[in-house]
Amino acid sequence: MKRIVQLRVNGVAREVAVEPHHILLDVLRQEFDLIGPREGCGIGMCGACTVLVDGVPLSSCLMLAALAAGKELVTIEGLSTGSELHPIQQAYLDHNAFQCSYCTPGFILGTKALLDENPSPTPGEVREYLSGNLCRCGSYVKILDAVLDAAQRLHSASEAGGVSGSLGPGANT
Amino acid sequence: MTTFELLEPESVEEATNLLAQHGDEARIIAGGTALVIMLKNRLISPGYVVSLGKLDELHYIHEETDGTLRIGALTTIREVERSPKVQARCPTLARTCGQVGNVRVRHAATVGGNLSEADYASDPPAVLMAARARVRARGPRGEREIPLTDFFKGFYETALAPDEVLIELIVPAAPPTTRSSYLRYLTRSSEDRPCLGVAAFVDVDDRGICRDLRVVVGAVAETPQEVDAAEKLGIGQRLTAELIQTIAEEYARSIDPLSDLRGSAWYRRQMVRVFVRDAVQGALDDGKA
Repeated sequence: MKRIVQLRVNGVAREVAVEPHHILLDVLRQEFDLIGPREGCGIGMCGACTVLVDGVPLSSCLMLAALAAGKELVTIEGLSTGSELHPIQQAYLDHNAFQCSYCTPGFILGTKALLDENPSPTPGEVREYLSGNLCRCGSYVKILDAVLDAAQRLHSASEAGGVSGSLGPGANT
Repeated sequence: MTTFELLEPESVEEATNLLAQHGDEARIIAGGTALVIMLKNRLISPGYVVSLGKLDELHYIHEETDGTLRIGALTTIREVERSPKVQARCPTLARTCGQVGNVRVRHAATVGGNLSEADYASDPPAVLMAARARVRARGPRGEREIPLTDFFKGFYETALAPDEVLIELIVPAAPPTTRSSYLRYLTRSSEDRPCLGVAAFVDVDDRGICRDLRVVVGAVAETPQEVDAAEKLGIGQRLTAELIQTIAEEYARSIDPLSDLRGSAWYRRQMVRVFVRDAVQGALDDGKA
């Protein structure tokens, strides 16, 4: 039986009717028209469907939409401010850190969560944190460069007085 | 996926009453990383799914004055991994939790869910069993404690009654001289589950004599495997390389391994020999409990 739940996505709350078995990923794509989160493996292994939930990265393919009520959800669409990209997005672009880009929203949100938690990760820490995001084009080397560069950019930006385009509440900050 | 009724109790009592009321028709969901996959694959089709998401009372890590850790069932694997209390009291447990799945799974999956699911290829159970941890379960008839050595009964089967909820994990403080290690062996990719994992807890006195030895091998059989006869070979002795090899041989002989995509039974038996040896030696060399 459908129930009405209030989902808060990218800072905007909206009521939607969902069945108990509806998966958050499908609801975001079909009801909210947010196609940044994508289905890859459907079992939480590839990271293409990553969404930030109360600041932490989760696989939206493994979440029941009804249980996401009351939580703060951020998809890749919520990262930029208008036409201004988030520094992490810009770093991925500048480093050509993708080929087909299917995995990119998941990688960028994973990067956001990592840098919120650990603003100056070592290359090893980046590899470890993002090891659960798969890129079948094999852009890993450029992704690593982009993440390390994004950390630098965010660091400079915060010294210059705050980062724009950051919607998600920082994990553990 | 077939649909179901989603129930969201606001207390443990309400949850156990719902479970008692709906019996076999009900399944618990906590982090969802296991249950949703089972639902999607139609391995189960419950009429009722009971979410524990509103039970904030089960979300904590307490350290008692004697060093015992009490971890609420809804604490995530990621929280255990990053907890300064767990890192100080049982670093091997913190490190092991850091190796589970990927960071998204660890943010969602809970301690209670990990144990209650009783997936044979999971990492934390072997470590917790070797640490002599126990769980607290509550049902309509009251509360009881179950040592993990009596908890795992078979594939996805535990000592929990259908109307009982695992509410707390208790990790007793190890003597300060205890050293430990967990070694997992991946035969496929880095995000995969292990072909086997070996947890070793060793307590050695200042003369180098082994006071206590606990070795638990996970992911090789339906349940985590411990071979008492092999452990006894080490207790009261000096753990020389030869004796450790003998203990590892005994483990390889005694365990009846399963075959799956991550390794055949024959292969696993050889790996038990290698990894039991390395885990015990690793604990002696640099492990701190």
